[in-house]
Amino acid sequence: MSDTATGTDETAALPGDGLREGIVDRLRSDLGEHLLDTYLIPHTDLWVRVSAEAWGQTAAALKAQGFDHFCFLSALDWLPSPFGKGEDDPDAEPVAISTELVQGYTGGETRFQVFARLTDIKRHVGVTIKADVPESMSVPTWLPHFAGANWHERETHEMFGIGFEGHPDLRNLYLPGEFEGFPLRKDFPLLSRMVKPWPGIVDVEPMPVAAQEGDGES
Amino acid sequence: MTVLNERQQLSYIAAQAADARLNVELETEGMTLNIGPQHPATHGTLRIIARLDGEQVVWAEPVAGYMHRGYEKLTEVRTFPQVTALINRIDWLGSFANEVPFILAAEQLMEIEAPPRAQYIRTILFELSRIANVSLFLGDLGVQMGAITPVFMAFRDREYVLNLIEGATGGRFHPNFDRIGGLKDDLPKGWIAETKQVMKKLRTFCDEIEDLLFGNEIFQSRTRGVGIIPADVAKSYGMTGANLRASGVDWDLRRDQKNAMVWDQADFKVWTHPDGDSWARCWIRLQETREATKIVDQLIDNIPAGPVMTKVPRIIKVPAGEAWVSTENPLGEMGYYVVSKGDLGPFRVKIRSASFNNISITPWVLKGVYVPDIITILASLYFILGDIDR
Amino acid sequence: MGLVDRGRMPAPLTKLFNMGRSYSMWVYQWGLACCAIEMGAAFGSPRYDVMRLGVIPLPASPRQADLVVVSGTVTDKMAPAVKRLYEQMPEPKYVISMGSCANCGGPYWDSYSVTKGVDQIIPVDVYVPGCPPRPEALLEGIVLLQQRIKNEDMAAKWRNEEFTTLQKTAALEKAKSQPAPEPIVVGGGPIE
Ligand code: SF4
Repeated sequence: MSDTATGTDETAALPGDGLREGIVDRLRSDLGEHLLDTYLIPHTDLWVRVSAEAWGQTAAALKAQGFDHFCFLSALDWLPSPFGKGEDDPDAEPVAISTELVQGYTGGETRFQVFARLTDIKRHVGVTIKADVPESMSVPTWLPHFAGANWHERETHEMFGIGFEGHPDLRNLYLPGEFEGFPLRKDFPLLSRMVKPWPGIVDVEPMPVAAQEGDGES
Repeated sequence: MTVLNERQQLSYIAAQAADARLNVELETEGMTLNIGPQHPATHGTLRIIARLDGEQVVWAEPVAGYMHRGYEKLTEVRTFPQVTALINRIDWLGSFANEVPFILAAEQLMEIEAPPRAQYIRTILFELSRIANVSLFLGDLGVQMGAITPVFMAFRDREYVLNLIEGATGGRFHPNFDRIGGLKDDLPKGWIAETKQVMKKLRTFCDEIEDLLFGNEIFQSRTRGVGIIPADVAKSYGMTGANLRASGVDWDLRRDQKNAMVWDQADFKVWTHPDGDSWARCWIRLQETREATKIVDQLIDNIPAGPVMTKVPRIIKVPAGEAWVSTENPLGEMGYYVVSKGDLGPFRVKIRSASFNNISITPWVLKGVYVPDIITILASLYFILGDIDR
Repeated sequence: MGLVDRGRMPAPLTKLFNMGRSYSMWVYQWGLACCAIEMGAAFGSPRYDVMRLGVIPLPASPRQADLVVVSGTVTDKMAPAVKRLYEQMPEPKYVISMGSCANCGGPYWDSYSVTKGVDQIIPVDVYVPGCPPRPEALLEGIVLLQQRIKNEDMAAKWRNEEFTTLQKTAALEKAKSQPAPEPIVVGGGPIE
């Protein structure tokens, strides 16, 4: 039983920026031009984007750096939802919804991105890795590097329809076998919302502070 | 080796053949055992399919999805304040703890921070929900091994904690008390004295459970050395929380990560155990309940005065950006990856729930164990269905 | 029990049977989600002590149960199992639907994987609203169900008809028209 009590020097152990930059530098030397972009919020978090071919390689490289704790793996669909939020006033004019893809941190080119997160337990730092999903809708699997990726990849396959090359068994995890469609894609409609308008169209709860002063800048 | 004559050789061959025939006759057929989807031993609607050879599991696979409610999709059609009403139903035993990481992520994107008083109360309620959660685990543990008493004790003492949570938030189960920028309300009168009383009771409860259950010989022989998970396997499956610490990995987000909560103001011990077996996992949880009562006791004396809410606009729009915040929830690391596009609601929320990773190890850990051990191993891994399926 | 299936039970005898039935109900706990914990608190905790109402919450299988409490979210994947469970129960059987999810979908009314109400699959006798309902509310639901059973026409239940009160049957002999029985909602009000 280890007796690691919390110390007062814990802030010293917290990661600084030098640490995160070091991670990026080492990753760049491992991956070369496959490391496409990085984004760093000082003292908070780190994002990197790699090319889809290097997706598996990135896992290996980061694992070698000490990122041996697998946190999660999932995907992002950057298409703005064609249905809006489904809670707009049914009588109001429908607002024009753009179909422009605006990717988040570290940019990107495609509609779908896979992203995953790894943690370094010793250095207390985590990193989010993203990759564009190519036209073929599949990226290499992480299974050889992290056994935990198994279920996460099954879930991503089920929810987004993204394949993982080398994954032995991409069965449905959640939904019954006869379910059609990929629920987390933005163009998957929530039918209940179509047939029944959202009852709470005006939904502003008075905040305690604002309520006291009797003014709300709405 | 002596040279055999022909007759000896023949009799040898005949004996071998007879043996082989006998083996063929005795060989049992593989049997497939289905537990669930509703079974008392799986506390919830997890279904386990195990292929057995005699008493031994050759292959096992959990079938999840019986409680899949589609949180990630639903968050996309809710506004930020509405999301908390959904997500505290993920891990339904420690509901308040589910809200916190999401609120922290939204606050991080808005670049605001809750006032110190709110941070204290949040941390206290967080630990209370940990106690409410894990105490039921401790009670339930006995049921899995045929001891009924602990569960009644757990329900009895858990009621006190629920009363506290209800007193402060108005909801026994799903408080929905956290707001972006603080809390809905301040603590009611008399709550602090009451809490101290209850914490004493809970410590007695822990002692009782330790005596009754952990000192019990049957319990020990059923759990010690069963379902061992080594540290590197645990890490590569992404296990967190007590399950990871029971494998000897010293990793607790309350201590090792900085966010707008006040765990650093309390002095507590992060327990680890080198064994990695079922017993270690149960024992760590017992110790954690004790530590949680201590954290509450320490923090409750030092709650600073002041407001519980910062000034936020009435209609909350979260600036565009991405944030990942996770906290050490009762079941392990629970985190939200929030993507906002500057709208009223999130663009995408990836919910990383602890049980999903913790239970994905079952095919690995159940291989080769005996049938009764399935139950103890699953119980000691401790999952909540909503937290697996979301 | 030949009298019962022929539908010629004398009313006083029915009353006696009903009283016996209502105070010896074996209830199967079909806990599905968060509400299951509140159901556990109602059935398993010393504070609420359901047995004082004449309800025994420990049948080993649905085949021994008279009443099932469906508590929690019923998903489309779970629905066939719920139906099968209901079919396994022997007649006469009663269903309490506990929690908004089981009543109508609750917070997941717009989800793609949740069944919007367990009454789409099996008939429900008592609805207990709330998210989650307090254990007291569930106990109230059980008491209301017991009151209903006491007044029930056993023969009608036996013939698998909808709920009919004893008095009503006598009156209906003449009228021959039957108003639809209202489901019980704890706390009153309609369920939509
Ligand atoms: S009604 Fe509420 S508490 Fe009950 S199962 Fe549904 S979400 Fe959970």
